[in-house]
Amino acid sequence: MAMHRVVPVLLAALLAGAPLLGAERELVGSLRNLKGPVFLLRDGVERTISRPERLYEGDVLRTGPGGSLGLLLRDDTSISLGPESRVALEHFRFAPAQRELGLVVRLFRGTMAFVSGIVARLAPDSVKVEAPVATVGVRGTTFLVKAEGE
Amino acid sequence: MGNHGWLAGLCLVLTLLGACARPRTEVVLMPDADGRVGAVEVSNARGRRILDQPRQAVSVSGRDRAPGVPEILSEARIEAEFGPAIAARPRAPQHFILQFETGTSELTEASRPLIGEILRAIREQAPLDVSVVGHTDTAGSEELNNRLARERAEAVARMLVGAGADPGILGISSHGKAVLLVPTGDQVQEPRNRRVEVTVR
Repeated sequence: MAMHRVVPVLLAALLAGAPLLGAERELVGSLRNLKGPVFLLRDGVERTISRPERLYEGDVLRTGPGGSLGLLLRDDTSISLGPESRVALEHFRFAPAQRELGLVVRLFRGTMAFVSGIVARLAPDSVKVEAPVATVGVRGTTFLVKAEGE
Repeated sequence: MGNHGWLAGLCLVLTLLGACARPRTEVVLMPDADGRVGAVEVSNARGRRILDQPRQAVSVSGRDRAPGVPEILSEARIEAEFGPAIAARPRAPQHFILQFETGTSELTEASRPLIGEILRAIREQAPLDVSVVGHTDTAGSEELNNRLARERAEAVARMLVGAGADPGILGISSHGKAVLLVPTGDQVQEPRNRRVEVTVR
């Protein structure tokens, strides 16, 4: 019976756009494939992760030797990392009705496979992958980036 | 200043000795899943290159160097360099398109069974992120359309929660007429564009 009261409250919170998970930052997407070791740096604290979780703007992900991960962003962009890689989800906006669109990902080192999503289709100039010595402008859709020697 | 010059000098010597690897970035354009090939632009302060051929790659060996001449890489080399990153790619998200009786938040008869299918996908995939997005066509007032699209998305979310979905994974929004399913000009009625899309990621 209590469920009947809880569900509308939760729904109302969701509909109002209230942050249920205590994060006011933009939800970027979620991790799907994880092969350890994988680390998540958020709010200055790095921790090991071993199960899928939601990712927010500003999160930094790192894989150790033999590690890999895949993530799906809310606009269907797919990003995956090979071993000994480090990437920051620097900027993400996906509000087409408000014409707010953008995605900036920074690859510090390692290997990344990228398949662009709806943001790149609607606003190609707003999607960038920043690597140590060059910037990748995304006109669509599937590409690989490797950064080494930093 | 003096310190920086000293460090740069040391790094130059070490580079000459091969101990200080230059930072290097490589970008490879790949064919999409449907076989089409897009394009990317690789640039820095010194220059830019466009890649628009499958497996075409460009290498940049320093911030002070322009991107090199693009070349086509073999599949074997790509696999050797990028194999684990490619293998970790998430499977494609599942999309469900629901349609409504004109002007209402009532699902059409054909769309009603999709609620069960979405629930099944949620149970199988255990997603953390399911978006429920209302869309409109380009006809009529944007404000009214947006409101209706939003109401429809909320109606679908209620149906999903009522059928057992965890409300914590649902993200409800309206994209108005910004993301058309069937491309049209402005002020065009197109029933297929008036829809709610549920994406299970």
